[in-house]
Amino acid sequence: MNNTVKKYLPLFPVLAGYFLLFLVGKNMEGKWQLIAMLAFYCAVGQAFNLFMGMTGYVDFGYVAFLGVGTYGMAIAISRWSDQGLGLGLLVIGLLMAIGMATLLSLAVGAVALRLRGAYFAIATIGVNEGFRYLIEGARLWNGSEGIIFTAQLNTAFGRDFANVLSTYWADVALFFIAPFAAFLTLCFLRSRIGYALTAIRTDEDAAKVMGINVTRYKIIAFIVSASLAGMIGAVSWALKLTYVFPPDVFAISYTIEAIIIVLLGGAGTLLGPIVGGLIYGLSKYYLAVILPGFQLLIFAPIIIVIIVLFPEGTVGVLKKRVQGTAWEKIIV
Amino acid sequence: MVYEQLMGNLIQGLILGGIYGMATMGLSLIFGTLKVVNVGHGQFIMVGAFITLWMFNALGIDPVVAIPVAFLVGILLGFICYYTFVRRLRKGPAFASLLATFSVGIILEETVRLIFGSEFRGYNWTLGKVRIPFTVIPYTKLIAFSGSILIAVLLYLWFKKSRAGTALRSVVEDSLGAQVCGVNVDWQYALSFSLGIGLTVASGALLTMFIPVGINPNMGGQYTLKAFVIAVLGGLASPYGAFFGGLVFGLIENGSYTLLALLPDVEPFALTRFLSFVILLAILLIRPTGLIRTK
Repeated sequence: MNNTVKKYLPLFPVLAGYFLLFLVGKNMEGKWQLIAMLAFYCAVGQAFNLFMGMTGYVDFGYVAFLGVGTYGMAIAISRWSDQGLGLGLLVIGLLMAIGMATLLSLAVGAVALRLRGAYFAIATIGVNEGFRYLIEGARLWNGSEGIIFTAQLNTAFGRDFANVLSTYWADVALFFIAPFAAFLTLCFLRSRIGYALTAIRTDEDAAKVMGINVTRYKIIAFIVSASLAGMIGAVSWALKLTYVFPPDVFAISYTIEAIIIVLLGGAGTLLGPIVGGLIYGLSKYYLAVILPGFQLLIFAPIIIVIIVLFPEGTVGVLKKRVQGTAWEKIIV
Repeated sequence: MVYEQLMGNLIQGLILGGIYGMATMGLSLIFGTLKVVNVGHGQFIMVGAFITLWMFNALGIDPVVAIPVAFLVGILLGFICYYTFVRRLRKGPAFASLLATFSVGIILEETVRLIFGSEFRGYNWTLGKVRIPFTVIPYTKLIAFSGSILIAVLLYLWFKKSRAGTALRSVVEDSLGAQVCGVNVDWQYALSFSLGIGLTVASGALLTMFIPVGINPNMGGQYTLKAFVIAVLGGLASPYGAFFGGLVFGLIENGSYTLLALLPDVEPFALTRFLSFVILLAILLIRPTGLIRTK
């Protein structure tokens, strides 16, 4: 078998999974909302896994990157909607989202990545909350009133296209971002960066002694993961909802959801986030249908049980099972 | 005018800070011994607040009596949590215990919401007020303040003088050595975890005297965040550091509300919270052992 094909073989189940998901959403009547939600969870998991799964650092303020991504798109559309940029406006918005998420991740990384374990978690919570209260307190970007740009979106693209954009294309974009994040994960896993990050996860001090530039690799993973989060925020929060409020986009519950997805699937694996995202999204959706109002009360104990009994996650367990068989090449 | 207002608010801040400090001692105690960060901390405070509320409104019992009751309920909750999962996760990766304690917080929040509903509640316990220079303080707040100081002193004495406290300190210093000397290390962990939760729930009872109408199942989250800042001010692993951290935080918080309100076009409350997280990050970077030296 050709070497390149062999290298990227594990990507096929992931791509097939997303393609199947898309087909189901497209062809089944009334299921598009559910599929869009699943795609969102898978994408967030995929992006978060790049940092948390690879390095073992738990960023409790991850949602901040989605939040600034949302602001990036919102600012671009609300400021330059009457410039006649056409679809270029979306490109500018996306670039602003990525740029702002990257800048924030640089700032956070410079402070928080010096810390480890519980200290890192507390520092990142601090960054998330601090940034939210900076926006509200200093009345940055309209402060706590947020930005509503439905009208600007309509002037820029016309009412019909704006409508399709937020109900259809914003979701479709996730089917590009999530596989892209998976591709990057595989690139990491199959390169020097991945080995370095695995070494850091196992024993950071030992990795340092062996001559690995730990700070550099941690920062790389952090920035890549953050900029993907910015993109997700820009399409599936800004474009989809056409408004942004600070308490919504900096809600810590999204970070927790991302952690749960990565853990359910298996931290540091390629297939983990899509498996975890599907399990989490489907059970959340159907629990809300069957037992409305009780889903959190049911979920929380399940999470504790999973953490105690299966810390490797679904794909982690599967990976151990197939070790030494032909499946080993595909399940990564 | 501003000066008088500032002084008045600083005195109020100091008194509130005493409660903050006591409310954070449990977090620091648990982190200091088990190296577990209790992300569900604020929800335990909320439980204490609801115990007090229920005892006062349904049974007509004074909030002062509710403090020991809340403490005992907390001890019980602490033992349940320790023996069901904390024990297994103590040595695991950091995210496991973080996520598990967060889930416990959700369970508490949802259970209380199920029982009491999610609207804001309060109770009306008044004993009159005392006038001191610059400001007026209700007696209830003074009771809460002296209660929290009393509890902090009792904890200090228990730690330094009693046999159980000595055993606990030995585990913190060197758990293997303590084990060799015949200390039941697992029991000490269980004890310090449940003691920490007990203190936290009891502090919820004290806190109700400051938030007459702010009792709500969702109130916990903000106190978790405040407790993080306070614990970091005190060095994260030291309960006494946390107590002084609470006093400092109370002063900073009320001082900055008052001063930031003078600036045009800002929201002083949100900006104060921003400031507190800036302090958190700065201390983590510059002096991770906290502002107060303990040894």
